[in-house]
Amino acid sequence: MITRTITIAGFAALISVMFALEFMARRGSSRIPTAGQWLGYLMRSRTGRALVLLGWWWLGWHYFAR
Amino acid sequence: MTAQETREPGQQSGRPVLGTLAVLGLAGYAWVASGLPPFSGRALVGVLIPGAALGLIAYGRPPERIPAPDRIDLTGFSYWIICVAALLEWEASAFRDNSLSWHPSLTALIDPLIQPHPVRGAAFLVWLLAGWALVRR
Repeated sequence: MITRTITIAGFAALISVMFALEFMARRGSSRIPTAGQWLGYLMRSRTGRALVLLGWWWLGWHYFAR
Repeated sequence: MTAQETREPGQQSGRPVLGTLAVLGLAGYAWVASGLPPFSGRALVGVLIPGAALGLIAYGRPPERIPAPDRIDLTGFSYWIICVAALLEWEASAFRDNSLSWHPSLTALIDPLIQPHPVRGAAFLVWLLAGWALVRR
């Protein structure tokens, strides 16, 4: 079961790093964009907006309709 | 405009009562929709309705948007891209290994956590609010 533990630790580590990035991004002097900022940057075009919204919808479908 | 200049000021709606009622309505919808049986047509409709509604709002009558930065720091952005790519790869390798007990996917790990109806309803509400936050971007 050590493989399972490593897998779960990998997911936990990656998600923790993403939370840490968001935390660091919200400090005034950071060059790291917040998740909202880079998603907004990607959504400046209609195509980017459609893809991001489609990704959001897919998550809802995947977790709540399946 | 840089990423720093567009840091969101925690803008509050000028109509707090309306906002509260909207969140309560969404919470009610989330409670009902999250109780629908998975793999059913009704569950599909439950996620299609908010998707269609937000799509119409995003392209038809978009709300006042938080201005997007004209440019973002490439190095800072790359940290996010690396994390997202690693997460996707880690998830994909779970399917490639085809042994969910040894290498579970994120879905396989999250599904049991959101089985209780209150938790599932709260997760559904978070999903709805995330969609609204995206429309405002």
